[in-house]
Amino acid sequence: MRSIVTAMPLEAILTVAAGLFCIGLFGALSRRNIVGILMGVELMLNAVNINMIAFWRYLEPANTSGLIFAIIAITVAAAEAAVGLAMVIAVYRTRLTINADEVDTLRG
Amino acid sequence: MDFIIGLIFWGLSALILFSGLMVVIVKNIIHAALWLIASFAGVAAFYFLLEAPYIGVVQILVYTGAISILMLFAIMLTRQVTGEGTRQLFKRWWVALVVAVALFGGVMLPAIWAPQLPVTERGQPNYWPQADRAAPPGGGNTASGGNAGGTGAEPQPEAEAPQIAGALEIGQSFMREYLLPFEVSSLLLLVALIGAVVIAYEERTRRRRILTLAEEAELRRSVTGLGVERPVHASAQLPPGKSDAGTAERG
Amino acid sequence: MRAMWEFFFGVGWFATLLSYITITTAILISGSLIMMLLTWIERRGLAYMQDRKGPNRVGPFGLLQPVAEAIKTITKEDITPTEADRWVHFLAPVVILASTVAAFAVIPWGNLIPVDINVGVLYIVAISAVHTVGILMAGWASNNKFALLGGMRGVAQAISYEIPQVISLVAIVMLVGSMSVVDVIQHQMDPYGNILSWHIFTPVGLLAFVVFWIASLAEGERPPFDNPEAESELVAGYMTEYGGMKFAVLFLANYLTNFAICAVTAGVFLGGGNGPGSDIPILGTLLSVIYFLAKSLGLFFVMVWIRGVVPRLRTDELMHFAWKFLLPLALVNIFSTSLWIAITRWGAEQGMGVAEALGEPGSIARLAVAWLVTGVINVVAFFVVARINATRGITTYQATPTAV
Repeated sequence: MRSIVTAMPLEAILTVAAGLFCIGLFGALSRRNIVGILMGVELMLNAVNINMIAFWRYLEPANTSGLIFAIIAITVAAAEAAVGLAMVIAVYRTRLTINADEVDTLRG
Repeated sequence: MDFIIGLIFWGLSALILFSGLMVVIVKNIIHAALWLIASFAGVAAFYFLLEAPYIGVVQILVYTGAISILMLFAIMLTRQVTGEGTRQLFKRWWVALVVAVALFGGVMLPAIWAPQLPVTERGQPNYWPQADRAAPPGGGNTASGGNAGGTGAEPQPEAEAPQIAGALEIGQSFMREYLLPFEVSSLLLLVALIGAVVIAYEERTRRRRILTLAEEAELRRSVTGLGVERPVHASAQLPPGKSDAGTAERG
Repeated sequence: MRAMWEFFFGVGWFATLLSYITITTAILISGSLIMMLLTWIERRGLAYMQDRKGPNRVGPFGLLQPVAEAIKTITKEDITPTEADRWVHFLAPVVILASTVAAFAVIPWGNLIPVDINVGVLYIVAISAVHTVGILMAGWASNNKFALLGGMRGVAQAISYEIPQVISLVAIVMLVGSMSVVDVIQHQMDPYGNILSWHIFTPVGLLAFVVFWIASLAEGERPPFDNPEAESELVAGYMTEYGGMKFAVLFLANYLTNFAICAVTAGVFLGGGNGPGSDIPILGTLLSVIYFLAKSLGLFFVMVWIRGVVPRLRTDELMHFAWKFLLPLALVNIFSTSLWIAITRWGAEQGMGVAEALGEPGSIARLAVAWLVTGVINVVAFFVVARINATRGITTYQATPTAV
C-alpha cells in the first residue's frame, strides 16, 4: 500500500511545519496591525497541527490521540480567533486604531 | 506512485510556505488575509495527503470557511489604513526576523549535524523501539528508497494496509477516553461565544452614526494624538478611490 | 526504455489518473449541459407562472436559447474596472466556480459516484462554504459599493445558514451511522422497493429535510433569500462589475450550486437513485441515474416554484429566520433523532429495557411508538418556535433611531 509514509520521510513534513511556524512567528512579531498578528498566530497553530497529524500518521496511525489533539487545537484556534477579533473591534471602537504600537495605554 | 506522492507533497509544501510568506510580507492586509486562505487550503490538502480526511474537512470548514471570513470581516469593520503608504511592520522588524530565522536554524541544526538521531529510518514507523508494533507498511521499500521511479518493476511484498483511525474511531474515543477534553472544549467554545458577543457588543443607544472618513480622521487625531503626521488614506477597507462605501457595514 | 514505459504506463497511477480525468471531464460537461437545462426550466417555468410565454424561438420550445446566450456572453468584451483590484477581481469567479465544482466529487449520480470518501456529507458542506470567500473577494475587489454590500450580505447569510444546514444533517448522520454518501443512500434502500424507507418519510427526516432545504436555498442564494444580488436594491450585488465570460462563470457557478443542492437533497432525503428496479445489475444503474435526475430536476422545479410565489425577505428577517427559527428546530430534531434511535434499535444492554416490551428492534410496534413520539415532539417544537417568533420575533422588529 503506497502512501505518504513510503514516499516521504517524516523529517520532510517536520521541516515544512517548522518553516511555517517560523514564518508565522515572524508575522506575529513584526506586524503592526493586530489582525496581522492574529494571522501569524493562526499560521503557527497550523504548523503545530501539521506536526501533530504527521506524527500520528507515521508513528501511531491506529491510535486516535493525534487526531483528537488536532481537533482540540482547531477548536482552541477558533475560540481564540473569535475573541481576538472581537477585541480588535472593541479596541478600534475606543481607540480608532488597530495598530499594536498605538494601543499603549497600559505602558507604565 | 511514490514519485507522484512526492511531487504532490513538494507542490503543497511550496504552496503553503509561499502563501505563508506572502501573508507576513504583503502590504495590503486584505491581500494578506487572502494569502492566508490559500495557506489554509494547502494545509487542508496536506491533511488529505496524510490520510486524515476528517481533519482536512474540518480544516476547510473551520479555517477556510469561518476563521478567514471572520478575519476579512474584522478588517473591513475596522476601517484601518491598509494602503501601500502606511508602515505595516514595526520599526524593529529585523529583530523578529532574526528570532524567526534563529529558531528555524536551531530546529534544523540537530537534524543536519546529527543524522544518527532516531528520526532517519526512511519509511519505518519504528522510531522508538517497541516490540508489539505492527510491521511497517511497504516494508520492502527501504532498500530501494532512492529509486523513486522503479516502483512497478520488481514485485515487492506489499504489507497489508495499516489500520488508520478515521471518523468512526474519532467519535468513539471522544465518547470514551477523551470525554472530559471534549466537554471542556465545548465549554471553551461557549465561553468564547459569550465573550466575543460581550466584548464586541455595542448598545444601540450608544451607537454612533457612521462617520465619514474626514470626520473619523479628525476624531482619530483627537483620540490618539498620533494621526497628525500620518496621511489619512481613503483606502480603509476598500481599494483607493471610494470613500463612503464603508458606511454600509452596519446599515 | 522499458523502465520508462513501465513508469508511465505499466503502473496503476497512470490508469488511475486517466480515469479520474475522464470522470472529471464527464462531470464538467454534464454539469454545463444541466446548467443550460436548468436555465431553460427556470425561465419557462417562471413564464408559465407569470402568464407569459418565455423564450420559445431558438430551437424546439426554446431549448437552444441557452446556447445562443452562451455565444453572446463569450463574444462580449471582458471589462475590469480601472480602480478594481485586478488579481482579486479575476480570481473571485475562479474561486466560486472551483468550490462549486469540487462539491461534485462526492455527489452520487444514481448508483454512480466519482469518489466515496468516508466524510462525504461533511465534505459537501465544507467545500461549498469556501464559495463565501469568493463572494467576499468579488464584492471587495470590484470597488463598487453595491458589490461590497452584496458581498457582505452574501457572506453573512451564507455563514448564518451554514449552521442549521450542518445541524440538520447531523440527524441524518446519526440515523445512518456514517458520513459516507453511499452509506446514506444504502440506508434508504428497501429490498421491496418501498419508497417509505426514504428519510423524508420519517418525522425526523422530514423536519431535517425542511430545515436543510430552506438553509440550502439561502446558501445557494435562491429566492426568497437572494438578498446578495437583489436587483431592486443592489443592481446585481457582488456580480455588478462582472461582464462577459466572468459573468458567465459566476452564472454557471450559481446554477451548478443549485443543482448540487438539489442532488444532495435528493440523495440524502429522497433515496438518491433508489426506485423500482434500480438494483438490477446493469440496467438498474441506468434506471438509477434516471430516477436521480428526475428527483433532482423535480426539486429544482420546486425552487423555481418558490421563486415564483414567495417575495424576498428583508435582510434582518433573513437573519432572524436562521438563528431563531431554523436553528432551534434543527437542535430539537437531534433530540428526537436520538429518541428514534433509542426506541427503534436499542435493547436492554444499551439501557432501553423498556422498549424490549414492544418487541424486537425494528419491529412494527417499536416503529409506531417512535413515529408517535418523535412526530409529536417535532410538531410541538415547530408550533412553539413559530409562535415565539410570531409574537416577539421577526415581524415586530423596528429600527430605533440611532444617536449621533
